[in-house]
Amino acid sequence: MTRWWVSRWFIVPTLMLLVTLGWLVYVGRHDNGLIEGRIVDAAGQPVAGATVRIFDRGFVTYQERGRTHSDADGRFRITDNTSHSVQLEAETPALGRSKRMEVRLWFAAQDVRLTDPLRLPAKP
Amino acid sequence: MGTQNVSWWGQQRNRQLALIVCFLLPSLVIFFLYRILPLGWNVILSFQSWSPLRPAEWIGFEHYVEMWEYDDVFWIALKNTLIFIAASPLAIAAALGVALLVNSDLKGASIYRTIVFLSYPLMAIAVGIIWRWMYDERGGIINYALRSAGLIDKPIGFLQDFDWALPSVIFAEVWQILGFYMIILLTGLQSIPQNLYEAARIDGAPAWARFFRITIPMLRPSLFLCVVVGILNSFSSFDLVYIMTNGGPGHATELLITHIYKAGFVQTKFDYAAALTVVQFALLVALTFVANKAAGGNAGAVERD
Amino acid sequence: MASRSKHATLLGLRHLTLMVIAFFMLVPFYWVIKTAITNENIYAYPPSLLPQNPHLFNFVDVWYLIPFPRYLLNSIIVSTIAVVGNVVFNAMAGYALTRQFAGRNLVLALFLSCMLIPFQATIIPAYLITAKLSLLNTYFGLALPMLSTIVCIFVFKAAFEAVPRSLIDAARLDGLSEWRIILRVLMPLSKPAIATNVILTFIWSWNNFLWPLLITRDPLMQTLPLGLARFLSYLEDTTGALYAFAVMVLAPSILVFLMAQKEFIRGLTSGATKG
Repeated sequence: MTRWWVSRWFIVPTLMLLVTLGWLVYVGRHDNGLIEGRIVDAAGQPVAGATVRIFDRGFVTYQERGRTHSDADGRFRITDNTSHSVQLEAETPALGRSKRMEVRLWFAAQDVRLTDPLRLPAKP
Repeated sequence: MGTQNVSWWGQQRNRQLALIVCFLLPSLVIFFLYRILPLGWNVILSFQSWSPLRPAEWIGFEHYVEMWEYDDVFWIALKNTLIFIAASPLAIAAALGVALLVNSDLKGASIYRTIVFLSYPLMAIAVGIIWRWMYDERGGIINYALRSAGLIDKPIGFLQDFDWALPSVIFAEVWQILGFYMIILLTGLQSIPQNLYEAARIDGAPAWARFFRITIPMLRPSLFLCVVVGILNSFSSFDLVYIMTNGGPGHATELLITHIYKAGFVQTKFDYAAALTVVQFALLVALTFVANKAAGGNAGAVERD
Repeated sequence: MASRSKHATLLGLRHLTLMVIAFFMLVPFYWVIKTAITNENIYAYPPSLLPQNPHLFNFVDVWYLIPFPRYLLNSIIVSTIAVVGNVVFNAMAGYALTRQFAGRNLVLALFLSCMLIPFQATIIPAYLITAKLSLLNTYFGLALPMLSTIVCIFVFKAAFEAVPRSLIDAARLDGLSEWRIILRVLMPLSKPAIATNVILTFIWSWNNFLWPLLITRDPLMQTLPLGLARFLSYLEDTTGALYAFAVMVLAPSILVFLMAQKEFIRGLTSGATKG
């Protein structure tokens, strides 16, 4: 038989299948719902004990899904995100509320470490 | 007791006949259920008053009278459908131009051909959404181009305007079907024997004479097919019209097929919709017949020596 | 010399015209892709010709916010049923038509006349028949009208007739049954016909909007075209999500088309030659 595997009918679907499988494997290993970030004040100093709220995207509005607190280094960790598009907001009674940061992911519950910090508007 | 008259050959023949019938059966069943039976049922239904709740009553031509006398939308839809069909010769002529340009061993001819043909296999709904967006007053590129070129001052709501809506939908449909016409005509062009052109050139015939005396007559079957497809397109453009304007504004883009859909499945007047379908099908047959006559009969087939 | 340069200018003019035509044919594609990857308010005037802050997250949104995977699955299932049924039934019918039997001309005439009946002329009784068969809102009911196409029957018939009789006779002498003859001898030699059938049926069933519109009741049974049309009425948002949806819907068609262009064109133009 001629080399049947060289035909486009075989190569294209097989390539697509491989890409899909590779993607699924990647997603499977990185979908723990982890979001890590940090909070700074207006002067750039880490803020401990700030409340971080996470909002899930519904169709038109965002709904609060949970909250956590930043540790001594101003870092926080959310472990149960299930959405692909969330907003984060940090607040302390003393320093005010940060702007909402939009985090758009490539797939639901993607693990991500934020590069920019959540900035609170005032300094102590 | 009769003699064993069934010879081996007879048995074989019967077995073969049974096999052939078996092989034909699935396709025949599908076509019977979904082409032939519906055609007949449409006719019968059009003469009845029927709803899913009541048994059928024979009412003769009442639906047709209602269509003729009282249904203004029917007449508008009929007019729009005819305009739709009348636009196809222009599209076919344009496609012929493109086919002539592409028909050669021009470098990259296959790329041009692919680009023009790319629009045909697309989902009509998606095409409708794309064109709806292109016609948009704010974000659409057509208005933007027209305003940038200084041709208009204010944006035109193409799909909201009573006069522009139907031409806009037709333009979108032509964008999609152009590639199909081009492919059919290209195939036809490539089947014209070259020696005819050679002989004409030797005889000193100018280019336009070669075109009209050789090309067009030899293209008759392809042109006929394109015309028939253009007529059938007034049926199958339901998707495009539904998503772009849904027959609006008012009934400016209402085609017979959208009217049938609304009568049958929105107002659930199945019997009246069946009558409309019969009328539309009759129109289709009549127009195809006229086109056949214009193509010289026999679907434009060319007699070859 | 003069005719050479005249030839060159004509060639250049030809290329120019074709490029202009190609440009206009491609503008809608570019415009929708640009809108789909754009982040800002797409209704702002004047619209930017190039995408501002392009991002691909609209596609992610479409995947999760509407049942895109479900619609995709439905479309794939229906198309698969239609394609498989089509190839099997059409090959069978095409083979039957290559044999001589009483009533063959009648059957041929029947098939040819069915070609003249467009699908849209049958929608009302087709709906009623499908309802009577209790196949409304089912995958099989969605695929049923598309399980056989006349053009493809004739394509198979022509392909089978092109197989040299000696091969078939040899197979029959070897004692193969009719089914085996089709499977082992005719089909492998008719690969172009199979490919044509597959691509034509796939495109038709994938793009079919009117039939699913009529017979699906459950929103979860909708196919992609239906889902796309419904999405239009969900919300007027100012992002390119709807157009991302359109792009995602068009991508498979374009991919399949580019892969099988030759077969697709052959299938379309064989309708121009009477079987």
